[in-house]
Amino acid sequence: MSIKRTLIAAGLTLMAAIPALAQSDFPTKAMTYIIPFNAGGESDISARFQQAEWKEHTGQDVIIQYQSGAGGAQAWSQLNSIPGDGYTIMGINLPHTVLQPMEGSVGYKTDELTPVNYFHYTPNAIFVTQDSEYKTLQELIDYAKENPGLVTFAGSGAKSANNLGQLQFDDLAGVKTTYIPFSGTGPSITAVLGSQTTAGFNYATSGTNQGDALRMLAVASEKRLPAFPDVPTFKELGLDIVGGAYRGVAVPDSTSEEMRQRISDIVTEINHDPDFIKKMEDGGFVLTDIGYGQMPAFMKKMKAEYAKSAAALGIGN
Amino acid sequence: MELLGYLLDALTPFNLMLALIGVVLGTVIGALPGLSATMAVAVLVPFTFSMEPASGLIALGAIYTGAIYGGAFAAILVNTPGTPSAIATTFDGYPMARRGDGGLAITLANLASVFGGMVGAIALLLLAPPLAKVALVFGPPEYFWLAVFGLTLISALSVGNTLKGLVGACLGLLLSMVGVAVVGGDVRYTLDSPALLGGIDITSALIGLYCVPVILDLVATRAAHLKVNTDIEKDGIRLREAMGIAWRSKFNVIRSSVIGTVIGILPGAGGSIAGLVSYTEARRSSKYSANFGKGEPDGVIATEAANNATVGGGFIPTLVLGIPGTPPDAIILGALLVQGIKIGPTLFNSQSQIVYTFIFGLLIATVLMLPAGLLIGRYAYKSVVSFPKSLLVPTVAFMTVVGSFAIHSNINDTQMMFGLGVVAWVLNRYGFAPSPIVLGLVLGQIAEQGFVQTYLIGNATHNISGMFFGRPISIGIILAALLTLGYPFFAEWRTRKRPITPLTERAMAAEAHPADIPPMSDTPDTAKPDSVNGESGRTLDTGAILLAVVFAAIGITAYLDTDAMSQMGAVFPATISVLLVVFSIGLVIFALRRKGGVSERGDPAASTMRRILLSIVFGLWVFLIPVLGFFVAGLAAFGSMMVLAEHETCPAKTWLIRAITAVVVVAGFWWLMADVLLLRMPMGLFF
Repeated sequence: MSIKRTLIAAGLTLMAAIPALAQSDFPTKAMTYIIPFNAGGESDISARFQQAEWKEHTGQDVIIQYQSGAGGAQAWSQLNSIPGDGYTIMGINLPHTVLQPMEGSVGYKTDELTPVNYFHYTPNAIFVTQDSEYKTLQELIDYAKENPGLVTFAGSGAKSANNLGQLQFDDLAGVKTTYIPFSGTGPSITAVLGSQTTAGFNYATSGTNQGDALRMLAVASEKRLPAFPDVPTFKELGLDIVGGAYRGVAVPDSTSEEMRQRISDIVTEINHDPDFIKKMEDGGFVLTDIGYGQMPAFMKKMKAEYAKSAAALGIGN
Repeated sequence: MELLGYLLDALTPFNLMLALIGVVLGTVIGALPGLSATMAVAVLVPFTFSMEPASGLIALGAIYTGAIYGGAFAAILVNTPGTPSAIATTFDGYPMARRGDGGLAITLANLASVFGGMVGAIALLLLAPPLAKVALVFGPPEYFWLAVFGLTLISALSVGNTLKGLVGACLGLLLSMVGVAVVGGDVRYTLDSPALLGGIDITSALIGLYCVPVILDLVATRAAHLKVNTDIEKDGIRLREAMGIAWRSKFNVIRSSVIGTVIGILPGAGGSIAGLVSYTEARRSSKYSANFGKGEPDGVIATEAANNATVGGGFIPTLVLGIPGTPPDAIILGALLVQGIKIGPTLFNSQSQIVYTFIFGLLIATVLMLPAGLLIGRYAYKSVVSFPKSLLVPTVAFMTVVGSFAIHSNINDTQMMFGLGVVAWVLNRYGFAPSPIVLGLVLGQIAEQGFVQTYLIGNATHNISGMFFGRPISIGIILAALLTLGYPFFAEWRTRKRPITPLTERAMAAEAHPADIPPMSDTPDTAKPDSVNGESGRTLDTGAILLAVVFAAIGITAYLDTDAMSQMGAVFPATISVLLVVFSIGLVIFALRRKGGVSERGDPAASTMRRILLSIVFGLWVFLIPVLGFFVAGLAAFGSMMVLAEHETCPAKTWLIRAITAVVVVAGFWWLMADVLLLRMPMGLFF
């Protein structure tokens, strides 16, 4: 590990030395990382995992602040008014930053934001309680087919990643279910645990905290998750659902190109830290590595994908 | 015994030191309005990464419990809840302080907080797994009814003035709908301003609604802010007297602690609701219910015991289910995950050492709060009492700006705080108290989400009425709400039937006791016999009629706006705006027939000029911060307010000392915010 660290440090010094001297000096003081949501959600926890490794990789601390409101729009609408010196960065989420501006005036446009790195996503997953009568996804689908509308899914927020997943599920499985929006993952998982709803359309991450109390019927990732080797993917079960919420780091638009690249590199570097990988995978997060260079192509692909879903939600027209 | 071993683990000198520092730091931060437990815990999480998990948890838990207690100081001394948990502390704590019992109120708050905190922590220690089930049986209908129950407190808070209370509540409920709706996702009542998308922040609204009127009244009169007790024995913390009162109210203390623990377990309820519910219960079951709102010690005891009990209660779902009970719990949960600790049902078995060491640490921190809190309380009380007005006014005003800004590093919150505050002062003058508005604002979202979720589930399962009215816990809450709602009428009926009952005697005594204080309009009018009220009842309440017409117009506009919303997003605001129109019209009719409560006449000695000037300075301040920068604007406003608040002529030397104090206060807060709490400060032209 220490050899690897030395190598990385050496590599970084080299990289930084070539384009501009200023970069190797960055950061020279603590950075601020604004989370546009309340504490305790997936955005917060993944940022806290990064925070624990931040100093080791940059030599400086990072301070996490919360600026919640309007499902993140409150903070994103102010992102570009922050000085672009690189010391203040902000968490950024998909599908939020694509869907919100489609709905109406939320104070920012998708293309006005500058994500520099999307570092993970939390795949959607369907949960039921341990004593639920539905042991497999097929049993739930069969019941939903016989009783249109009767199956209720608790999820986080309206027009959110959970909501999109539920609509996609309805479409592909040929069923009609009812989505009940809650004010976050915590309250919606509480409702699932308390059997207030038939099931939950949440993120796979919820599976780690609840232990045996919940059963995950299927997960919307490409491959099975290391933390849940026994849970099948939707794809294995014949439903082509892959998705969830992507989380990344954005900077104000006044940030220089070099600084954008540098911050993206910091995030990428932490993404390769074995401690970080272990904590994230144990938690049910799926690491991605979409750096600043790949961002235009990635955003183009995602925007096209969400435009289709938006039509299903009845927004953007 | 195994548990004893864990106790010894918690008792290491390092852990004790952490607990003490945590409690002191938490108390100070909690005492400053707007600087909340959540913020304190969030800033300190990184420091715990390098500690043993249990030690880190003890530090965070101690800060948290200290901050909840600290909220009582600002509530008692300047009528501003330092944290939302202390809303109900203002109801009786501030009247007590005004009549010279501030020291007593703080000591009572301390005793109640320590006891409540212990009950919560002991429940966490012994009963966590079974109690966690409470969180699960509470579904959307129960949250809806709980919010409705909280709203019934309005009937108690505005006896004799019920219509004005109901109008205020509707206004508060409408304010709570501003922004993006959780259910339905509609954008509501934002007036097309992105600044309103996130809704109205509850803490900054609290600061504005409660504290700005106090500042405006402070500057207008010569009289001291708080009455100082000349009786030397009645000055100071009055520990013996407070212990006597607390002992006599032991049932109240225990009941409130239990209520606080149980409500703390509910994720999505929190300390503010716990305080309000136990205040309501204490008032209903008290023999002296007419005294509540006028400085009844039991009101302070009930709120403070309950809100500190939520600390231990909130950790129950956090540790057992992995579902944070309160926002600070959510941050602590994140800190645990970063430490590599798996939360959830297995935690109590697999990592019992950490869990039990932490719980004992929390208990120890709560006990340490007794001496630490008394000491800080004594100091806070003394400094507020001895501060000259020309320093107190700008300092309190500065704290409202700091607090409302600090929540989201957002200057819009500060401007909203000031705007709501001025409106609250005007409304207050015409008999519309701030508390019903606050209740509406705090409970609106919980009520709406619970209602719509219940409706959606009921609609899907074809059982809407069963969802709302058929669940045992819901029925229990509904009955409790009806009881609270009906109780004032019953009490009044009993009073009429037997003219001289202990109840009225006490009420009269309470009237007589704070006689030398001008009646505060945010204290409810007690059920005075009609003969007392008759005299003033003949004048026409013109101001209130005009305001009611304005409110009816607001209600109609709000109703018309629901046209563009989705069905889910429209149902609640439509209902509330119809109610607002109905109540407003009712108010006009009553006022025209010269019935109902009448607005109070302003104090003739009060200087309206100073009030207006202060509002102008205050207004310029909050709008110039982004232009001039926080420090420069703050210093300029501080200086102007200092001059405005001084009614005497003072020697140059006094002014010099005050000017130095001003620089120190402004610079100190700047440092606290920019370098300790690491907030983003608005820069502007200067800094």
